[in-house]
Amino acid sequence: MAGKGDTNMEHLGGVVRLREEHQKVMEDCESRIQHWKKILADYEALDDRLRTLPDQLCYDIMVPFGPLAFMPGKLVHTNEVTVLLGDNWFAKCSTKQAQKIVEHRMKHVGNQLDDVTKTMKNFEARVGFAKDLESMSANTGNYVDIREEVGNNDSPVTKGKQRIAHKPNSKPKMDVMFDLKEEDEEDEGESRDTGSRKGNMTEEELWARLDELERLEELQDEQDRLSDNADMNGEDTSSSSSEEEKEADAAPPVNGLSLKPSWSSVPHSIQPLTDRKEEDYEEEEDGSCLPTIFFSHTVEPKKVRINTGKNTTLKYSERKEQKEHSKRKKKNGHSNGHSHHELHKITTPTDIYRLFVDVKNGEPIPRKSILKSRSRENSVCSDTSESSAADFEERRMIGRSFSHDEMTHSDTSDGITEEDSPTAMPLQTPSRFEAFSGTVVEKDPMPTAVPHLTIVPPALPTILERKQEEVAPDVPPPEQAPKRVSKFKAARLQQK
Amino acid sequence: MAEAIQKKLKAEVEKYAQTQKDVSKSVSARQKLETQMAENNIVKEELDLLESSNTVFKLIGPVLVKQDLDEAKATVAKRLEYINGEIQRYETLLKDYQKKSEQQREVLTSLQQDLQKAQGLPPGKV
Repeated sequence: MAGKGDTNMEHLGGVVRLREEHQKVMEDCESRIQHWKKILADYEALDDRLRTLPDQLCYDIMVPFGPLAFMPGKLVHTNEVTVLLGDNWFAKCSTKQAQKIVEHRMKHVGNQLDDVTKTMKNFEARVGFAKDLESMSANTGNYVDIREEVGNNDSPVTKGKQRIAHKPNSKPKMDVMFDLKEEDEEDEGESRDTGSRKGNMTEEELWARLDELERLEELQDEQDRLSDNADMNGEDTSSSSSEEEKEADAAPPVNGLSLKPSWSSVPHSIQPLTDRKEEDYEEEEDGSCLPTIFFSHTVEPKKVRINTGKNTTLKYSERKEQKEHSKRKKKNGHSNGHSHHELHKITTPTDIYRLFVDVKNGEPIPRKSILKSRSRENSVCSDTSESSAADFEERRMIGRSFSHDEMTHSDTSDGITEEDSPTAMPLQTPSRFEAFSGTVVEKDPMPTAVPHLTIVPPALPTILERKQEEVAPDVPPPEQAPKRVSKFKAARLQQK
Repeated sequence: MAEAIQKKLKAEVEKYAQTQKDVSKSVSARQKLETQMAENNIVKEELDLLESSNTVFKLIGPVLVKQDLDEAKATVAKRLEYINGEIQRYETLLKDYQKKSEQQREVLTSLQQDLQKAQGLPPGKV
């Protein structure tokens, strides 16, 4: 309250001074008004004199002689008046003209007087206000100045505790959370409690939870990808014609065109299979106890020979990928295999890939790979097939599967499905084998489970994903062999 | 250290006072010119109202010199222009003086701060 009193005193002092200044101005105005009024009176008297002067020819007057004496004299030429115009200029004129001049001057004086009175009135109002203000600040009189002091140091009026504003995406400090938890036992802040509880979890638990969430995310991605695949399948059929044109080195356009209508039926059948396959992958991958993220499209470099049909022994994992690549097949419009339709009866999607060869000189020649021979040797594709052609086909298929898988993954991760088809085509054009020359191929596939990099940023889908493909899938398949098998897989197994 | 600053401060204060004087002088001169201008305006108006029959005199010292009406008018007009020009000149001068005074004021404040610091330090040192 002392502070309040001080401010009051200050205010009072200021107001008093203001009032005093106002009063000064008021007095000044008054003096000026008096001055002008006097002048006006003088002019009026002059006016009267000028009016009466020409009545007589001459007047007897006592003429002032110096400052102390007078002399009797006469006033002649009563009509002639020398008027001071201003600035040492004189004009001789008759009384009437003089009167006119006097009128002018009186007008001027009147204007001045009006101005001064106006200012006087203004300042009167201000003085009144200052007086009121003075009385208010002194808390006297009828008016009271309402004042509220802002006390920053006072205790807050808020209910409950004051929350700490944590920066976004930052973990609240543990010790702080501890304190709050102790104090919050009686509070109603549930969110805070949960946060504090969370903060109290050990770091390991937090990481485990994070991994769980990541896995859930991946599940979601898979599901999204399923829907994306469905979309892409539809897209492929529509865009296959354009893709065929793009692929100059690819299957001769005639073949592609002829195959186009027949292909359209295939993707529909493949689609559910691919979906199932992806589901299988998801299950297999999620079943791993270690917190790792795997891409379902990745190919295990493990050399497992499976007799999937005639002349082909594909890897266990490759089959799945090939099913996914059936989409790509559609995209590329490579239906060279159809030319060999009589030769190889297509019962499974893998058969399609087997038939994915160029027909030159009557012999099936595998497409040229853009990969260097060295990398091709160490590629994920296996060398288990009897025929080299089949081997190449496998590699091609796998290569395509890689590129395709990556693209699909990029779809799921980026959420951009449209990019898939255009990117697929230029990639496919150079080689069937492995579209990405910048792939990272692991020489020694790691059999043991290794915690890998958790989340791949979508900005780098190709290289990183490939790495993961080659590295990650090592783990799941061996562990998850005895899992639920899709009907397609069962059929294939039966075929063996 | 503090003394040196004090001396500086005094010098600056004097300079500032001088500038302020200049400012006030120019201001007063301008005011005078303003009144003259007003007066001459009135004279001009009156002369316009006068007819040629009246003789116009100019007071030069103790002597009233007869002037021609047209000449008088011209003279008054010229005088008016001259006064206007003078007013302009004085205005620019006034601005300059005001700027100078501002600068001086800033210098003064900085010096004062320095002085305070210097005065604050020695007691701390001791």
